[in-house]
Amino acid sequence: MDTAPVIRVVQEILESRQSRKGAWGFGSDQDAVEPTCLVILALRHQPSVYVERALDTLENLQNRDGSWPAFLGDEPEGCWTTAPVVLSLMATRREAGSVHRGIQWLLNARSREANWLWRWKLRTVDNSVQFDPSKFGWSWISGTTSWVVPTAFTLIALQQASKRGFCRSAHLRERVELGTSMLLDRMCPGGGWNSGNRVAFGVPLAPHIDTTSIALLALTRHEEEQGVQRSLQWLVNRLAGCPSPYSLAWGVLAIAAYRGISLEAREGLRGRAQELMRLTENVASIEDNCTLAVCALALEAMSGDSVFDVRT
Amino acid sequence: MKLDRRRFVISAAGLAVGGMTTARLLPEEMLLRDRRLRRSRVAIVSAEQYSERLEELLLSGLREFRLNLRAKSVLLKPNLVEYIAGVEVNTNPVLVGAAAEAFLKLGAKSVVVGEGPGHQRDTYLVLAESGLAAQLRSQKISFVDLNRDELFKVPLRATYTGLEHLWLPRTVLQSDFVVSMPKIKTHHWAGVTLSMKNMFGVVPGTKYGWPKNVLHWKGIHRSILDICATAPMHFVIADGVVAMEGNGPLHGSHRHLGKIVLADDPVAADFTCARLMGLNPHAVWHLDRAAHFLGNGSHDRIDLIAEGLPQKTVPFDVLPEFVSLQTPV
Repeated sequence: MDTAPVIRVVQEILESRQSRKGAWGFGSDQDAVEPTCLVILALRHQPSVYVERALDTLENLQNRDGSWPAFLGDEPEGCWTTAPVVLSLMATRREAGSVHRGIQWLLNARSREANWLWRWKLRTVDNSVQFDPSKFGWSWISGTTSWVVPTAFTLIALQQASKRGFCRSAHLRERVELGTSMLLDRMCPGGGWNSGNRVAFGVPLAPHIDTTSIALLALTRHEEEQGVQRSLQWLVNRLAGCPSPYSLAWGVLAIAAYRGISLEAREGLRGRAQELMRLTENVASIEDNCTLAVCALALEAMSGDSVFDVRT
Repeated sequence: MKLDRRRFVISAAGLAVGGMTTARLLPEEMLLRDRRLRRSRVAIVSAEQYSERLEELLLSGLREFRLNLRAKSVLLKPNLVEYIAGVEVNTNPVLVGAAAEAFLKLGAKSVVVGEGPGHQRDTYLVLAESGLAAQLRSQKISFVDLNRDELFKVPLRATYTGLEHLWLPRTVLQSDFVVSMPKIKTHHWAGVTLSMKNMFGVVPGTKYGWPKNVLHWKGIHRSILDICATAPMHFVIADGVVAMEGNGPLHGSHRHLGKIVLADDPVAADFTCARLMGLNPHAVWHLDRAAHFLGNGSHDRIDLIAEGLPQKTVPFDVLPEFVSLQTPV
């Protein structure tokens, strides 16, 4: 399967959509951190003025405390986008100072369950959703509880930070361990992940494709866990016929990461990648830049090059 | 008594503290401008099923309101939460399509549909799987993902959450006529989810996350009031053809109401929907409070311009914590 021409077309479209401020929006005029990071990752192999400008923009956007906001013009409060920025800066071997400050902020960021009072409240009063509040990860914005996507992105960033030698502290190992336990705790009963709860009001919640895929990417070092294998199986089955290139691309990224250990993943991968190629035939009509970037990353992962790899 | 400088400063400080304390003890709505219409109009329209007839029904219902839509941009905000096969979770695509067509026929310059789902990050996936994407494509109606639109910082026009402002999407703020199109459902946190709760979907995930968790921590009822006092909402078309009871908004059971509710006041719309559900709207905290400043709840300020309320209703099933809603209306 020759994915290179498609990847190149996607990259060219993304380059043409860079804003004058050196960033990308989801599709609107609002430059935002998440799409900018994903596009940087999609363009990282070809050093260019686009990537350099985007990296400069991101570095100028860093808050004093080391975190990043959600979009250009946002208040200077750190949020979950700090993890994708750290990933992007590490992947492009950017100057270490801003990366270290970003990692430090992530290590110190604690979701609401970190406080004993809230843990007690979540155990005794707020128990309509069932989870173990002693296992916590990262939130979308400060002052809220842990959710799967921010936690998974942060776990990928921290594990890569350790792998690349940016930080190998005991604190990092502890947070990765705790975040991993949170992900495993919040897994849906049949495998896969909803946005952050497994059961609400006595009813099991249904998993989402993108959330499950990102969580699986963060857990590749726990491939032997039964829950991880169950989630992978759920994902392989759910992906067939997925009409959305965004979810399908995340699914391909996750399945590609497990093809070495799962026959089902290996067998399903080629078909899903072909479906993705078909969904991206009229690539210019896809307005969402995150979708385009993730499609490029997924097709790239077909050749074994995954930017989200956390294995040592 | 001589008013020296010291006495003046102490008295002023006392007045300030006293004023602030009094203000904190007063119900919030007493400090808010009364924005209620003199009278609100609500049309209950019978519709047994989702069919091509809906457009005709809506047109006829909307004409009763004598809306001036000439050269106006209309935003339809359906309730698009999640796709669950075989379950009527979302505002039905046929109704959304019929509303779009009806507003165009009534002279609107443009109609777009916008939504920002609370949990599902892949908005397009829900759009495609729910059938709304195909419906809108067939009518050449655009869709805007409100979770990822351009954002503007807007000062709050109510004080229930303690937040000073919200970031809201450009499409919501710049549309001339915003129509909330909820699915009539019970809700495991709020009791009911109607036109006001539906406006949670205009709060952008880009800023607040998936779900918009900060609003849950600030209190769901309080957040609904602040959002509805701040974001524009001009009209309501509520989908009660097939409604949901029990453990809504996702895992409840279908309840065939066979009604669509149109209104020029979201509070009046929600009070009427709650009454159709056989539930007491005053027992829903955000509805009760909203009726003090945002819109009309009492029967004597609501004109039912189409059908009347049924003489007798079997109350919707609710979770045990909401049985108080089933007290006589």
